[in-house]
Amino acid sequence: MNSPVPFPDDLHVHPGPALLSGIAQGPSLPAHRTQYGVVPNVDTRTLTELVTAVGLRGRGGAAFPFAIKLGAVLERAGRTRRPVVVVNASEGEPASSKDTALALTRPHLVLDGAVAAAQALRANKVHVVLPGERPFAAAGLRRALAERDDPVEIVEHTAEPRFVAGQAKAVVELIEGRTNLPVTTWQPEAESGVGGRPTLLSNAETWAHVGLLVHVGATAYRRFGTSGEPGTALLSVTTPDAVPHVHEVEYGARMRDVLPPSVVGAPVLLGGFHGSWATWETVASLRVSVPGMRSLGVALGAGVVHAPGPDACPLAVTVRITDYLASQSARRCGPCLNGLPALALSLHRVLDGSGTRSRVEELASLVVRRGACAHPDGTVRLVRSLFAALPGEILAHAAGGCLAADRSRRLAS
Amino acid sequence: MSHQLRVDWPACKGRGLCHELLPEIVDLDEWGYPIVTGPITDDLRPDAASAVRACPRLALRIVD
Repeated sequence: MNSPVPFPDDLHVHPGPALLSGIAQGPSLPAHRTQYGVVPNVDTRTLTELVTAVGLRGRGGAAFPFAIKLGAVLERAGRTRRPVVVVNASEGEPASSKDTALALTRPHLVLDGAVAAAQALRANKVHVVLPGERPFAAAGLRRALAERDDPVEIVEHTAEPRFVAGQAKAVVELIEGRTNLPVTTWQPEAESGVGGRPTLLSNAETWAHVGLLVHVGATAYRRFGTSGEPGTALLSVTTPDAVPHVHEVEYGARMRDVLPPSVVGAPVLLGGFHGSWATWETVASLRVSVPGMRSLGVALGAGVVHAPGPDACPLAVTVRITDYLASQSARRCGPCLNGLPALALSLHRVLDGSGTRSRVEELASLVVRRGACAHPDGTVRLVRSLFAALPGEILAHAAGGCLAADRSRRLAS
Repeated sequence: MSHQLRVDWPACKGRGLCHELLPEIVDLDEWGYPIVTGPITDDLRPDAASAVRACPRLALRIVD
């Protein structure tokens, strides 16, 4: 099944204040070294201080504090074997384009971050996981890898073209030579990951921030963002009839500033296919912030902002996404294999006015937290957010109507 | 110290023995897969251990 938001074959990357500054000079290693110099040698204490000083969070969606992950790896590495560093650039979420943007414009910042960490940790290897459904992004990273001569071995892998292939546990499976699907693990990969080694696995954008930090230091990094939440974040913005736009914004920036006038007034899906719907009123008042958005019941996630515009019915969009997510199940865990198609069907029935919210919620509660990975949980987050944020859209369908159709008629008249 | 029953979801094929042996804290969903409804209390420890041993898919574990 094709994704309701197609994987991009083109995108527009806007220059930004930090990660995306100087991208006009191109992605080559000489241009990168001219801007930043060689990879500085940092020890684990300095690395820990840097990521702690700026409160760096993982950019793969969960916003987990990087310093805690690093600490877990260090604790285990001290006792057992040399750790492993993994750059997860698989970007299996179709509506996200930020790792693709980095692959095309800033690959060496990503790789510098991983190499600096690998040297600090005396890591055994750096593994780079390339996207399976974005050949031009994979090519960008391959070109960058071919230009480099690092003191640590870098091994590339290509993710399977499947939504769940980028889940951390699935990535460890891929690197170990098994099928690139999530499995049950009894320990976090920071403690026991690739080959049982402590594994520092992070998203490509996270590594770009680490790269920037080791190059410019915490003080320069903190010039952007707010005092409580320093730095910047990448946003992937998808709107009707346009290529995806990638913006680098400071924490604290207004979310609405990345959205074009054509989508003003309509609901927006924040955080991607595993994210949450927000009304335009919420979006209009929103500032880009992990805790700030959490307090409003939405999540920044991996920075996906999908604005289908006033002509799109959010219920119909959610039905299409849920169908797609059901098709992307690894089909290994019973509640996901059976529950996601049933959940999708129950949503179809709400869309055509024949089904009820109670059946949707019954199925949601049956799949949530009952799988090897977060795929069912993320799907449930999306579905529940529709009912919580946009009850008017649901009521209209129960009465045989549709607010999007009303919006279109108003615009046409 | 309270213990939990955890399911290895990719391994589980919904055979349902856990529900037979431990109905106090294992229900089955509409497809026959276990729903763990609570922690393993002290009086349930022996039955929980039996369920873990009896699972034909070795898909259950007792975790802290």
